[in-house]
Amino acid sequence: MRTVIRGSLRTHTRRYVAAVLAVTIAVGFVVVTNAVASSARNGLSAAVAEAYAGADLVVTSDSGIDQPDVETVTATAERLGDDAAVVGTTWTAATHEGRSWGDRVPMASVAVDATLRRQEVTSGRAPSTPDEALVTTSRAQASGVEIGDRLSVGAPGETRDVTVVGIADNVRYLDGDVLLPWDTIRSIGGFAESATYAVRGGGGDAAVSARADALREATGLDVMPRAEFVEQRVVSANQGVDIIGYLLLLFAAVAGFVSVLVIANTFTILFAQRAGDFALLRCVGATRRQVVRSVRVEAFMLALLSSTLGIVGGAAAGYGLVAVGRATLGDLAGEVELSPVWLGAAFVGGLVVTTVAAWWPTRAVVRVSPLEALRPVEADAEGSRAGLVRTGLGVLTVAAGGALLAAAVSLESLPVLLAGGMVSFVGVLLLGPVIVPAALRAIGAVVGRFGPASRIAAGNAVRHPKRSAATAASLLVGVTLTTAIVTGLASAEAVLDDELGAEYPVDVAVTGTAGVSDGTVEAVDAVADVDRAVGVEGVVGRLHDGDEIAVLAPVPSQREVAGDPEILQAADGEVLVGPTVASGFLDGLPEQAQLTVGDRSVEVTVRSVPSRIGDAVVVSPATLASLGGTPQTLALWADARPGVDGDDLGGAVGAAIQDDGLTTVNAVQETAWVDGQFGVLRWSVIGLLGVAVVIALGGIANTVGLSVLERRREHALLRALGLTRRQLRRVLAAEGLLLALVAALLGTGIGVLYGWLGLATVIAPTLPSAGLVVPWGQLTTIVVVAAVAGLAACVIPARRAALVAPAQGLTLD
Amino acid sequence: MLPTTGTPTGTPAASARGLTKTYRSGDAEVHALDDVDLDVPTARFTAVMGPSGSGKSTLMHCLAGLDRPTAGSVTVDGVALQELPDDDLTRFRRDRLGFVFQAFNLLPMLTAEQNIVLPFELAGRRLDAATKSRLAEVVDVLGLGDRLGHRPSELSGGQQQRVAIARALVVDAAIVFADEPTGNLDSTTSAEVLSYLRRSVRELGHTVVMVTHELDAAAYADDVVVLNDGRVRAHLTDPSNDELVATLGVAR
Repeated sequence: MRTVIRGSLRTHTRRYVAAVLAVTIAVGFVVVTNAVASSARNGLSAAVAEAYAGADLVVTSDSGIDQPDVETVTATAERLGDDAAVVGTTWTAATHEGRSWGDRVPMASVAVDATLRRQEVTSGRAPSTPDEALVTTSRAQASGVEIGDRLSVGAPGETRDVTVVGIADNVRYLDGDVLLPWDTIRSIGGFAESATYAVRGGGGDAAVSARADALREATGLDVMPRAEFVEQRVVSANQGVDIIGYLLLLFAAVAGFVSVLVIANTFTILFAQRAGDFALLRCVGATRRQVVRSVRVEAFMLALLSSTLGIVGGAAAGYGLVAVGRATLGDLAGEVELSPVWLGAAFVGGLVVTTVAAWWPTRAVVRVSPLEALRPVEADAEGSRAGLVRTGLGVLTVAAGGALLAAAVSLESLPVLLAGGMVSFVGVLLLGPVIVPAALRAIGAVVGRFGPASRIAAGNAVRHPKRSAATAASLLVGVTLTTAIVTGLASAEAVLDDELGAEYPVDVAVTGTAGVSDGTVEAVDAVADVDRAVGVEGVVGRLHDGDEIAVLAPVPSQREVAGDPEILQAADGEVLVGPTVASGFLDGLPEQAQLTVGDRSVEVTVRSVPSRIGDAVVVSPATLASLGGTPQTLALWADARPGVDGDDLGGAVGAAIQDDGLTTVNAVQETAWVDGQFGVLRWSVIGLLGVAVVIALGGIANTVGLSVLERRREHALLRALGLTRRQLRRVLAAEGLLLALVAALLGTGIGVLYGWLGLATVIAPTLPSAGLVVPWGQLTTIVVVAAVAGLAACVIPARRAALVAPAQGLTLD
Repeated sequence: MLPTTGTPTGTPAASARGLTKTYRSGDAEVHALDDVDLDVPTARFTAVMGPSGSGKSTLMHCLAGLDRPTAGSVTVDGVALQELPDDDLTRFRRDRLGFVFQAFNLLPMLTAEQNIVLPFELAGRRLDAATKSRLAEVVDVLGLGDRLGHRPSELSGGQQQRVAIARALVVDAAIVFADEPTGNLDSTTSAEVLSYLRRSVRELGHTVVMVTHELDAAAYADDVVVLNDGRVRAHLTDPSNDELVATLGVAR
């Protein structure tokens, strides 16, 4: 039998291309995942190590360290003649030469002592007093900072003025735009992550461990050598990386499942085509067991080959990707370190996927009787239709899945939802031979209007219901998952947009009790990124004996600057208080409060709103009039043009402001990360499921390619009867297009349903306002991409088929 | 209307000059056709005979524009085939030629009627009144009236061949090429199919070229071309049975 296996592998290699490709991609995907994750881990590890460069010991705890402990460490260092520094950070407001950089500028500590300083000063010098600061290269370039410039850092009330004395390179761990000595950071609300400690004057390990004991005793905190500390930090940070790694494995599992479908289909078609060979083997005396063994060994050889290819190709792709990553991201990406466990698991996974996928089709080989070798080849035998058992099972499974899904929605349970989704999807796949041909016929009837080629293609596509269903199923998996996730994300994004719209009613709010000049309003209005800017009038007052704030009374035309003018509409006798002012009330907002302007007070009803508009409250014009005082422009509200960059907008608006004492809320900048997160999430999911879709497209090319081999005589006959080469190419392309289109349309339909169920189960319970948002544009793109890819997948088989001269096809037996 | 009688004229329906076809397989060269000159007379039933490997199928494929000769020229219905690009050649086959093969004549997913009008479908032409009446006549002559809605798998071998003949006749082909049309049929059905082919020549004025290796089949033909080793050994007009046997014996 060995000669038979070897011979058949040699003869049929080309027909196995799609199966090999499917396994190779799936295995390679796992290897690439491992390569990228290990690179990220090593990059992180190097970055953390760098952040504590120069330290012999690190003093820390899970919740950072308190100032008394910092002082203890510093005192110990001074007493023993050593060095100590604090690694700390904060996010707070920064103003450069009168221009605001925003309320949440990252700032980090810089050691005054050179040994423990982790930043490299590229020009100027390091700070030596609390009034001196470094600015990182990226920030200096973005905001035009020069040595000698003045900065105001810290929230209103605790502002410090510092001088820029140097520019430093960015570091990769606990970085800030502005680098200040620890004392300054602390005075503006900083948090000490740890203290670093360097032993001076030698003494070796003994001196280090003596210092460690002393520090431990003095502070009661964790004191460990640098290497140990770095390792601990990397492990805790890596849990994040590892979770991503396991999530990626889920996508690998999807790719593996699609591979099973593609391989099973390939083997089914191949074995059907080779029924004659098997029958002949049986005729000349091979036992059933021998024939089945031979095809199983063949499948296993294929599994070995494709798994090996997957490991090698995946490693190459992984190293390549990381090399590209290092070129673009710099040292953020570390060395690749492939784990033997992952490689082994990927290899074995590839073997299992192939062998399992081939198992069922090989059973068909058993049924071939020796007599079949003697019958003429019926190349045009009608393909098998769905059996009653399979259809019945499919209906039951769909019903069971549907029941689970319904239960999931009412129980608001995610695990039940996932189980229901899987069960019902398996049901859909079981019903494939019923659904897919029906859909093919329906779409074929439409496509068939475009001429004889499309009509023949529509007829061909439904000839083998099971084959068409299996081919469409592989693409259906990827399209359904992509659609469900894209729909779910779009719906979640819409909900979040509403929330953010309420939280940030205006794109830019500039507020100050000293007033906003007309010149500033005009200048901001003239900024290219700003669509419209209006000044809002009000009076300076106090709410419930708090600090002085702006009491604004926007008129309707000013409220229009907010996306929804009703958000900032106060009733008479009512005051709208946003979170910025509310945070000043440590005991919570009172229901009724005194609004005081000068010496006049009015009793108002307090309504808490999520709107972030700075140190201002909103009342109606009538309420304002009852307060007395002379209204003046106390705020500027601006509407940004769609799609502008938050940082650019902030910079431009900051430059346009001509008055002092104003604070700016830049909603575009502060909400940018949300949009960014959704974008990243969406594209990651599409990219990862793309792997499954590529495998499925290989499957479509394969099905059409193998059908071409089967139909050579038929194509020759058509060519003899007058079908031109171009028409024949079109017949095959149309068949691929139809299969892809049916899978894409079914997939988007089912996917939207799943997306809606997911929304109802996961998001609706917490956010009842959540409604289904169908991202038509994205769904159309999915369908078009799938259809075009299906068309493209058939280019090669179609060209090959059309090249055969009619006489050649006719003389085949 | 259908042409009623075909009078043999000076213009042949098809002619080949210096027709040569060489196959290469590895280092070996096989001369399937070796400098063949042949005229196929119009409105006659011509049989091409010869032992297997004599080149008779290759001759038919070249005459019908299904294959390109290595050298020489073929003219069918006044058109020089070797000068036509592939698309024009394909359209010429579709509009001017009819085919009946030994097996696999019909597309399995189409009904008998859809198979018959397939050339019109491929051309994207609607069936005009004249074509419809010819279709009705041909279906009637071939006795396919109650079989039109059946698929090939539901038809007997003889019926399948009759559907193929009907397809060739409905397009009003200049020449109908038949490649071993009775190879898969029993003798009764063979006789039936052959007499239909002869009727299409005698009554409808078609020109038929049939490749066969069966003497009984050749007996239905008006003329017989005998091939051996890629050369024409004889071209007999209205041969008697004895004459045929004698010639074939020599050729063999």
